[in-house]
Amino acid sequence: MLAALAAVPVLIALAVRLSSRDPGPGQGPPFLDRVSQNGLFIALTGMVVSIPLFLPLTVSVAAGDTIAGEAGHGTLRYLLAAPAGRVRLLAVKYAAAVVFCLAAALSVATAGVLIGSALFDVGPITLLSGDTISVGESLLRLFLVACYVGLSLLGLAAIGLFISTLTEVPVGAMAATAVLAVVSQILDNLPQLEWLHPWLFSHHWLGFADLLRQPISWDSFAANGLLQGGYIVVFCGLAYSRFATKDVLS
Amino acid sequence: MSGALPATELAIETTGLTKRFGHQTAVDGIDLAVPHGSVFGFLGPNGSGKTTTIRVMLGLAAATSGYVRVLGQDMPASLRDVLPRVGALIEGPAFYPFLSGTANLQRFDTADRHASSATRRARVNQALDRVGLSHAAGKKVRAYSLGMKQRLGIANALLMPRELLVLDEPTNGLDPQGTREVRSLVRSLAAEGTTVFVSSHLLAEVEQICTHAAVMSAGKLVAQGTVDELRRVGLAHVKVQTPDTEDAGRVLQRLGLAPEPPHSNNDGGSTVRAPLADHTVAPESIVAALVAEGVRVRGFAVESSSLEDRFVALTGEGFDVVQ
Amino acid sequence: MTPVWKRWLPAAVVPAVIAGGAVLGAVQAGAATDLPDKTPQEVLEMVADSSVRSLSGTVEQTSELGLPQLPTDGPSAESDASSGVPSGVASALELLGGSHTARVYLDGHSQARVQVMDRLAERDVIRNGRDVWFYSSKQNAATHLILPEYSESEGHHSDKAWTPESLSEHFLSSVEPSTEVTVGSDSEVAGRAAYELVLTPDSSETLVGSVSIAVDSETGLPLSVDVQARGQDAPAFEVGFTELSLEAPSDDLFNFTPPPGATVTERVVEDHHAKHAQGDHGDRHQGDGKHDKDYTKYGSGWETVIGLPADEVPAELMDSPLIAETAQEVDGGRLLSSALVNVLVTDDGRAFAGSVPLERLQAAAEGR
Ligand SMILES: Nc1ncnc2c1ncn2[C@@H]1O[C@H](COP(=O)(O)OP(=O)(O)OP(=O)(O)O)[C@@H](O)[C@H]1O
Ligand SMILES: [Mg+2]
Repeated sequence: MLAALAAVPVLIALAVRLSSRDPGPGQGPPFLDRVSQNGLFIALTGMVVSIPLFLPLTVSVAAGDTIAGEAGHGTLRYLLAAPAGRVRLLAVKYAAAVVFCLAAALSVATAGVLIGSALFDVGPITLLSGDTISVGESLLRLFLVACYVGLSLLGLAAIGLFISTLTEVPVGAMAATAVLAVVSQILDNLPQLEWLHPWLFSHHWLGFADLLRQPISWDSFAANGLLQGGYIVVFCGLAYSRFATKDVLS
Repeated sequence: MSGALPATELAIETTGLTKRFGHQTAVDGIDLAVPHGSVFGFLGPNGSGKTTTIRVMLGLAAATSGYVRVLGQDMPASLRDVLPRVGALIEGPAFYPFLSGTANLQRFDTADRHASSATRRARVNQALDRVGLSHAAGKKVRAYSLGMKQRLGIANALLMPRELLVLDEPTNGLDPQGTREVRSLVRSLAAEGTTVFVSSHLLAEVEQICTHAAVMSAGKLVAQGTVDELRRVGLAHVKVQTPDTEDAGRVLQRLGLAPEPPHSNNDGGSTVRAPLADHTVAPESIVAALVAEGVRVRGFAVESSSLEDRFVALTGEGFDVVQ
Repeated sequence: MTPVWKRWLPAAVVPAVIAGGAVLGAVQAGAATDLPDKTPQEVLEMVADSSVRSLSGTVEQTSELGLPQLPTDGPSAESDASSGVPSGVASALELLGGSHTARVYLDGHSQARVQVMDRLAERDVIRNGRDVWFYSSKQNAATHLILPEYSESEGHHSDKAWTPESLSEHFLSSVEPSTEVTVGSDSEVAGRAAYELVLTPDSSETLVGSVSIAVDSETGLPLSVDVQARGQDAPAFEVGFTELSLEAPSDDLFNFTPPPGATVTERVVEDHHAKHAQGDHGDRHQGDGKHDKDYTKYGSGWETVIGLPADEVPAELMDSPLIAETAQEVDGGRLLSSALVNVLVTDDGRAFAGSVPLERLQAAAEGR
């Protein structure tokens, strides 16, 4: 799955490299117009492109599989009889999902940087504010962006974990989680539901742009952290409640 | 019956254990008593609630009502203390198909916090060796045959020295060698003092290896005790092979027996069976009476009750699953 | 096993705690801070005396389509060098509708930076002495202006365009007999205790219900402005600091070099100083001077109607699909209506705007 994610920036880079015409300013996905001047932007374009679908999808697969996958294999009963301990199992599974979220975001960024530097020039990056920063700091900012995006996905991972405890069919849990990710983004785009927006786990997904301003605005990082923390607490709590009492019959 | 044993000597004890799935009662108020050191056969037709009982015993499912004590401790309250001392094969083996046999066992062993990682490799190899899987240990489980998976499942139950082994249909899918192997394995474990709780349909096998047994039927426990006790409760039969079935029946009736309807054999003759209540009629006098009446007796036997008879008597002849 | 309901306890308790925390936080934020009482006069003086010239803060604005008098410095960065106004108007409308967050940095009279933070983009205005840069990340385009000499001391109006300060100054200038000025209950804005100055128009011929200005109790700096439309519960327009620090921002922020690859437009600013001095325009902010147009003013105070002759009305105004959609046919032209402002574009192309009901616009159009 990580390889599939890493393919996103690679595909974008190849498409830009092979096309004869540069995209004009403001055309295509954000940052695409800068790519031919500075390969590092591939990482950002890749991130923007992956956030609405690819990243949530892979995280849904990873998180939906946590408990339901074990139940589906029938290995859940052996893990519990080992005994793994239900709380411990849940904690380990969520920790693995967290690692996956971060790894997913990092692999998009890393693949973007690698393919970008292979196919294009690499130079100082222009921030959204119009200021220019050195390559070294650019890489640091990209790393922060990847961390931000990874963090953004933790709430979804917690939801996936909870859904995963509800069923023995991993595909069902994965699909339900992915659908929720899409629904949340759709709701976030309906102006009629403005009151709901700050509570949607996808609300700050594109907020990583705040890390590309000068000076860095940490507001959305903090707001996002708080929001994701809330989702983690609520849904891990639900997952615990469900899983601690669940009859394992698979 | 083993009810006389003091409670502390029971490896598994259930009191009024009931498990309902919606409206259906899969296990209905059973009182199991599995003595320490016994090899306990847990019998019952399909769907009679054996696996469900095992799941509740191991804390995988919560009892609707009733209590379970395993190795002297309440379940599932003391689950963490009890389960490391229990090896289990529950409703067939289950593994990660994309991992090798060794990797699977290592993964399950990692899940047990009490299992030391230093000895893991050695214990895994030893367990694989014990079930004769050493050669296939590196193969992906996806490529295992049914019996190989079954053996791997048993190996998983043997990763640690256990005080109690719970084996749900351990010989399912095993070849004759495998079956024999499991039988001797169970014997040797029992000799080491491990209590073995085996659920099975193979009555002959239970008869061979078990010291105790219990019979489930439609969620209820219908009999429990040592295998000898169970067998003794059943009646012996006299079996007369003769072409003159009507005459034979008449003679038996006159002697106070209740002959069953005759059924014909492959060789053209027929057999008449009649239950033989204890010490009412001496078998030799039956032969004498039959011969005196001119019945052509081609064969005569007194059969003591088998566990199968007892099983069928307890759970009914019908082939259809009750629940 | 623990009773089933107990297992679900954390799942129930956690959201309850979060909700409780949120409610408590809201209550505390809304809790009246108790400041020594002041008369409106005293609060106004505090504002006048305010000596805050350096700050960095975050400003948040939420609104329906709003006030026409607002300066359009920020968005005019996007306008074409030659025909500044039309796209300026369009982006002004864009800026005024919906919510925006901007960071504001001020240092002295001549250094300022405003960053309008859009989704995955940013619009910047940077002023450093006589140099003014506009930068839009979406277009990757920068515009450079050099202000005339005098601006050094006076031009700060434009820089403050986006701060609550400039807005409240405008409203304070409307303080006249037609307005009732009171001090409301003390409030808290951006973590600072503030007096709330409430301006209520006496006239019923205006769409404005009331204007509340939160004034920092320590420095007299206006912290937020809420404009309430008549007969509407939520503020029609709200702008205020959400974060504020009075320390001088780092100097680096005001040094702007256009990034490599950006389109750079150089623009010359003519000296409009003389016109400004006539005072005909009140203190309407026209910092960079390019919006200097001829218009007619009808009425006064809250009921003021601004009339633009046909050749001054940007054609784009009615062509823009967004506007064309919202405009409705009325007697004598088409009406763009919002909670706070009505704009009438007559059939012969003139435009009349004001915070007044349609009838007054029509009356103005007929020359009454
Ligand atoms: N998850 C479940 N949901 C509902 N009913 C179930 C479930 N699992 C088992 N049952 C029912 O409980 C009863 C007992 O099933 P159980 O698996 O314990 O039988 P068993 O004695 O192990 O049978 P077998 O010999 O076929 O393994 C059956 O009637 C079955 O239909
Ligand atoms: Mg079974």
